[in-house]
Amino acid sequence: MDRKKLTYIVLAVACVATTVGFLLAFFVAAPAQMLRTLDSGKGAIMGSGFVSHPIDFGQKIFYFHVPVAIASFTIFFFTAFYGVRFLMTRDRKYDTKSRIATEVTLIFVVLTMITGDLWTRWSWGVWWTWEPRLTTYFIMMLLVIGYFVLRASVEDEEKRAVYAAAFGIIAFLDAPLSFAITRIVPAGSEVHPVVIGVPGGLEGSQLAAFLISMFGMIAFGYVIYQLRYREERAKERLEVLKAALED
Amino acid sequence: MDPVVKEIFAQVSPALPYVIGVYAALWIGLMGYVGLTMSRLGKLEKHLALVEEALAKRG
Repeated sequence: MDRKKLTYIVLAVACVATTVGFLLAFFVAAPAQMLRTLDSGKGAIMGSGFVSHPIDFGQKIFYFHVPVAIASFTIFFFTAFYGVRFLMTRDRKYDTKSRIATEVTLIFVVLTMITGDLWTRWSWGVWWTWEPRLTTYFIMMLLVIGYFVLRASVEDEEKRAVYAAAFGIIAFLDAPLSFAITRIVPAGSEVHPVVIGVPGGLEGSQLAAFLISMFGMIAFGYVIYQLRYREERAKERLEVLKAALED
Repeated sequence: MDPVVKEIFAQVSPALPYVIGVYAALWIGLMGYVGLTMSRLGKLEKHLALVEEALAKRG
């Protein structure tokens, strides 16, 4: 199928999936209980206040936050993948693909940090804590930003592409570490909930809302990547044609 | 809607509008970014087609 047509089909699917995920998250998925419900069961402590109903509405952001975070890991993989392809072939198109993948990763990293921070404030009562998942994800954000700082600081195009590819491959190693860190560190030293792939994690309606949202977000990542890549290719071609027109 | 969920929504929660608001704003922002990128790409492709046509006319 034509790549252009496929992009628009995936965009439609992404819009539908995220809309359905949104509605399921708020109107169908079973709500979570406050982690710090009072012993009496008649209320909960939330931040510095007391709420009479121990239902965690803040948890609803989970259906946006986690899919966006997983999308960031998925897209970041392509930074490393195309980095490897570039180092193997020295074909410039892989450098462009790797750069675009990192750009899209940055969008999703920023969204993850915003939603995560809101959730942290709501659920844990603080804006930030140096907990393993947050720390490794923060490092990932710095590495993604560092990728663009590196590119901007090297003038020679060939060297810039080689350094960026090598940096992107090494930087990606933080993604699986960040994903797995809550399972690696000893229990008690982290507060990030582990809900995926563990018994009693997500029940039926929650899992459906989560999977649909995640599928939608990854589809959005694919669409943004394809559109940005086409834009870059069109810009490059325009430059070549303009030069030919001036000759 | 599930009766349990309906019951919960009937409860007064000062945070719910904010949670929905933030969720919706970020979601709309993401869709807006896709829309902007598509609009930019459309203009660029039109420009490209014009330059290609000019080159073709020149032979």
